[in-house]
Amino acid sequence: MRNFHLVFVTLFWGCSSLFAQNKQLLYDFTEIPQALMLNPGMQTTYKWYAGIPALSGFSFQAGTSGITIHDIFADDGVDINDKIRARAVYGMGINDELSGTYQIELLSGGFRGKNQPTNFYSFGIYHEGDAIGYWPKDLAILAYEGNADQLGREFDLSHLKTRGEILNVFHFGVNRQINKNLTLGARAKIYSGIVDFNSTSNDGYFLTTPGQRNLLANTLEADMRLRTSGINEIREVLDDDTVDDGAGIGRIVTKRGFFGGDLGLGIDVGFSYHFNEQTVITGSLLDVGFLYHSGDVRSFTLKGSATVEGVEIILPDALADPNADFWQDLVDEIEALVPFEENNNAYITFRPTKLYTSVRYNFGKPLQSKEDCNCNYKPSARRSSSIQYANSVGGQLYAINRPRGPQTALSAFYQRRFGNVLALKSTYTIDKFSLTNIGLGISFQAGPVNFYAMADNLLSYKNIADSHYASFQLGLNIISWGKN
Amino acid sequence: MEKFPKYIIAAIIGIAMLSSCVERQDFDQYDDISITPTIEGSVLFVESPERIINQVVGVNFYSQDFNFDAFSEDFIAERVLDGIVTYEVENTTSKELDITVEFLDVADNVLDTENFSIDPAPTAILRREIAYGGISGRSIDILSNTSSIRVSALNLGDNSSVSNLPDPKITLKSSAQLRIRLK
Repeated sequence: MRNFHLVFVTLFWGCSSLFAQNKQLLYDFTEIPQALMLNPGMQTTYKWYAGIPALSGFSFQAGTSGITIHDIFADDGVDINDKIRARAVYGMGINDELSGTYQIELLSGGFRGKNQPTNFYSFGIYHEGDAIGYWPKDLAILAYEGNADQLGREFDLSHLKTRGEILNVFHFGVNRQINKNLTLGARAKIYSGIVDFNSTSNDGYFLTTPGQRNLLANTLEADMRLRTSGINEIREVLDDDTVDDGAGIGRIVTKRGFFGGDLGLGIDVGFSYHFNEQTVITGSLLDVGFLYHSGDVRSFTLKGSATVEGVEIILPDALADPNADFWQDLVDEIEALVPFEENNNAYITFRPTKLYTSVRYNFGKPLQSKEDCNCNYKPSARRSSSIQYANSVGGQLYAINRPRGPQTALSAFYQRRFGNVLALKSTYTIDKFSLTNIGLGISFQAGPVNFYAMADNLLSYKNIADSHYASFQLGLNIISWGKN
Repeated sequence: MEKFPKYIIAAIIGIAMLSSCVERQDFDQYDDISITPTIEGSVLFVESPERIINQVVGVNFYSQDFNFDAFSEDFIAERVLDGIVTYEVENTTSKELDITVEFLDVADNVLDTENFSIDPAPTAILRREIAYGGISGRSIDILSNTSSIRVSALNLGDNSSVSNLPDPKITLKSSAQLRIRLK
């Protein structure tokens, strides 16, 4: 049981301490095949690529929009309880969040169509964890201060809003150059859910008022729900002393991650369009899809309304049954009015859909194309997309749907290419988490071997403990442009 | 191509410089975190109209033990630091009354007793706060071991008079404010 709590808390806070899923450095970084995952309509010049299994793409993003580790644990001589009260309990709002994602590519590859060379196909499997938890302000105050001396204050139960999931995604995408200016792409996805929890539709309040009969009345008006899938099996393994925890959980994750758990469908779409020789606009919509949770579902509800003024003994009625257990009657009455129930009903969740758009202006010296000179699949003499310039500058917009509405981020970027060997991209991003987010990405091509690495919010590394956000991505691929 | 090394070196040095600092943190402060909310709610409400008092022959017109596990629930009993139990007794009858509230443990041993003597109406509401725990309060173990409450009421007046106030009755109201340690 203790292990279960540890794993669950680790899962929840581990995932929750991750950050939003914005990958502004990787987006439209056309030298890197994994950028196709952010825009299936990205301009591609590869003949084929193959990701090194489990190494082709790894990303981890962590952060918080509210407090940082430094805010609480700085060795500054201030009482930690004062810091918690001022900076967390009362300092954070219900829109402050801990959220994010991690992603590991298990398999990744792509190839250009032999009969239809304007098509580029990509496929793969990746493992992803995504979670968000908003600061439950009223519940935190209730837990930290209690309800004493708070007459008339409604503690809002809707402040509890959280969700998270761990899943494997199997995908296949088609990228097609429609004409010399336009490239479209789409990707179909099958989701295999491993773990899911969500509690996003809560409502109600807890209120203490002067009582009508007694001194105080406590009122609970609740409509709360926690739905989980895949957690119970893990819990059983951890509770079973005859099963090795690691092996047992590994079995469950493998089974559920490869079509033995919850299943869902999704789609990504995207495009790239050349306004002119040097100006490109792009856009993509990712993870428009859902998961149907039907296996190992365990959900809990608390719904109803009750007002309590303690045990009430009113004569002469109370004399009717001398053996009456007024306390138990009160407990039973509350449980009947606000039942805490459990069910195994299947449910559907929608994936956090993401939107990217960008405009890029290329300038400087055109570089020699990496493509095969015998580009007989080109629909026109020379595609705009096949011309690489030494410099690019532009802006990107990112949005993701979240339980409290869409979150957006705006980035400006500069990209510099050094021949066909090295490309650097730097971004400056503003969003609700940071106004000073500067990131740097590098793609290094050594023959057919492509290595990329990216890190974000570099200025915060001055004091990483005070960072609201730290992330990195890296990967290793083999890429061919068809040249001998 | 000749510019590679310069840019790369600049970038690496820049990242290295930026990533080299972490201000001193003291994670031992975790041990000092104290989360001690104070919760409050009503405990017991007893009401008896004067006509019931008049119907009962003898002084002791009411005595009853009530199961009351709120204080002894593990979540409370293991965490309670201190508390205040507040009583309010209002008498609108024509009689002098004596109310006794006793806290009992599971073996019905009396852990604590509170007595209220209240004059016939018209009289002021009697309000009393009893502290438990802390330096000056009664032992907090009283609350954490309380399993039931006994309420006894004595009629120190007659069995025939009727108050001229509307709806004459004796009421005992009570609430508790408990400070508990969550961390």
